[in-house]
Amino acid sequence: MSQQDLIAAIVKEVLSELNGGKASQPASTANGRSLHYQTDYPLSQKRRELVKTATGKSLDDITLDAIMSGAVQAEEIRITPQTLEYQAQIAESIKRPQLARNMRRAGELTRVPDDRVLAMYNALRPNRSSKAELLAIADELEKEYDAKVCANFVREAAGVYEARDVLKKD
Amino acid sequence: MAKRQKRFEVLDAREVNKDGFVTEWPEVGMIAMGSPNDPKPSVKVSNGVIVEMDGKKREEFDFNELFIANYAINASLAEEMMALPCVEIARKIVDINVPRAEVVKIFSGLTPAKIAAVMDELNVVEMMMGIQKMRARRTPGNQAHVTNMQDNPVLMAADAAEATYYGFDEIETTVAVFNYGPMNALALLVGGQIGRPGALSQDALEESIELQLGLRGLTAYAETVSVYGTERVFIDGDDTPWSKAFLASAYASRGLKMRYTSGTGSEVQMAYAEGKSMLYLEIKCIMITKGAGVQGLQNGSISCIGVPGGVPGGIRAVLGENLVTTCLDLEVASGNDQTFSHSPFRRTARLMGQFLPGTDFIFSGYSAVPNYDNVFAGSNFDSDDYDDFLILQRDLKVDGGLRPVREEEIVAVRNKAAKAIQGVFAELGLPAITDEEVEAATYAHGSNDMPARDKVQDTKAAQEMLKRGVTGVDVVKALAKRGFPEVAEAVLNIQKQRVSGDYLHTSAILDKDFNVVAAINDLNDYQGPGTGYRLQGERWEQLANIRHAMSPQDI
Repeated sequence: MSQQDLIAAIVKEVLSELNGGKASQPASTANGRSLHYQTDYPLSQKRRELVKTATGKSLDDITLDAIMSGAVQAEEIRITPQTLEYQAQIAESIKRPQLARNMRRAGELTRVPDDRVLAMYNALRPNRSSKAELLAIADELEKEYDAKVCANFVREAAGVYEARDVLKKD
Repeated sequence: MAKRQKRFEVLDAREVNKDGFVTEWPEVGMIAMGSPNDPKPSVKVSNGVIVEMDGKKREEFDFNELFIANYAINASLAEEMMALPCVEIARKIVDINVPRAEVVKIFSGLTPAKIAAVMDELNVVEMMMGIQKMRARRTPGNQAHVTNMQDNPVLMAADAAEATYYGFDEIETTVAVFNYGPMNALALLVGGQIGRPGALSQDALEESIELQLGLRGLTAYAETVSVYGTERVFIDGDDTPWSKAFLASAYASRGLKMRYTSGTGSEVQMAYAEGKSMLYLEIKCIMITKGAGVQGLQNGSISCIGVPGGVPGGIRAVLGENLVTTCLDLEVASGNDQTFSHSPFRRTARLMGQFLPGTDFIFSGYSAVPNYDNVFAGSNFDSDDYDDFLILQRDLKVDGGLRPVREEEIVAVRNKAAKAIQGVFAELGLPAITDEEVEAATYAHGSNDMPARDKVQDTKAAQEMLKRGVTGVDVVKALAKRGFPEVAEAVLNIQKQRVSGDYLHTSAILDKDFNVVAAINDLNDYQGPGTGYRLQGERWEQLANIRHAMSPQDI
């Protein structure tokens, strides 16, 4: 497959997702339906029961007393992939497919540690990585973190970087 | 000239003639709109893929064009929307009978050259009418810069408190000296919540440090994530659309709000404009933002305002870039944030484009400190101009996001912020803040009024904050222990935003009770008189009630 064909194939897949194809079907929904901006936003008010910390606590558990007693730690105050999926559904319902897509990539990246996320970002900067290095990051994203959308995004970048000559020079 | 005409002597001495002006020079991109080198609009879609855009075949696309074609344009609508005449689209932007959503739908199918051509159909009043209808959030807002030349944390906390007390929804700092980043973020976080709970704070630094401060809860959002309109300039900026989009997802994965930054003139300034007009290149930046799924953009030339400001029609193009951002359904933090003219007339006229229609953030930002303390190369308006700004709001009955304040109130919030940061420093083991410093910060005009601090100790402590991993939660605890429970609650509520993700949506800000106000539950519904945001009732009374107005009882 030529470079351009490869890019075209990836793009086609991307676009079918963007336009509501199979791959963008939410992994899980609340009560079997997608959330909607008119009924469910803001989540923290209208669907407060759905919002949990990374350790499964509710927003109401994060109180000053809980912080002072150490019952809630700084590391717990993090968004979950599930919450990002709900927010992506809300973005889709108000016709912001790109924002939804970013939230789904983000949902996957919740599983990647801070230092790896930073390292991956730096590897994606121009002239930093060989094609093989970028493809290895894509595989790492897919296999270690179940980050399929991000993996394909990095694979797409690897192809574009090769075509546009922004891979690392030996 | 041997003998000067006396009127011309006077004219030459005027402030406006200290400004720089140049004639158009399209070959290097010194042209605001409509360069002869701008491509003609076109699109071809095959099997759901854009195979031609603006006269270029897909094989010839640079990485910006590939990214835009892949992500920013709805291929299923492109051919239909591109077939609409430019003037017809321009009229739909202005026509109050055409709802915002219809214009957003049309723009989702347009190419960069087509959008540039649509903008060229509009005069500035029509652009303002467009922004009034097209901005995403119904309620306008404002952002401030809070910096000082000494990176003095006590002054910074007091200035942050004053700024949010005036009503800024967001406050932004940066550093005069590189190493102060974490300490400045801390001062802004604490001070900001004292002036008005719910204000969001950020610290403009190198990308990875900025992200780290966000991860630790010392900032609430990020903005200094730049994108560029040509491939060459993007590479010089050490990024690509893919790296920047990945960074955007990294922020969202930690529940942090962010927007991109771009602006007309940056490509000329970095010397690779490819002979294209400034607005055409900026439209590519806006579309890259859209394609990356970033909720908003800071634009309006920003740090390059001198470039469009110097060419014919440049300030119109700057307004045009704000309008395009809104038509692409993105939050806009609309510039007005760097000194671009010596003339107060020009500065005020440049502001009107955003001030009259209202934007998500009219300034990005307004200098909440004196000009000499503004580390972002000044702003279009500063703290010495507060009363001018408040009276402009009152004269024109326009909500620019600020409210009149009383001297005693400002003294009180500045003092509280200075004391709170004093307590937090003591609790976190940072270099001590004296009572003398608290007093000076309370009454200061700027950093010239502050006693000197030991900068070696401060920079060391700032770096140690990073190493020790001081978090927003540590700040909450410190505030509570030092007798500021309500400030601790507010800082905790900022931390909690990173759990719900509600403020990741378009144009999201928080009110004083931490309710999110976004272009979802406060979607702009302007459709002419009697609709959209109206300045009335209590809010209007508040804005009308300036300090120096005489009432009949006074006379």
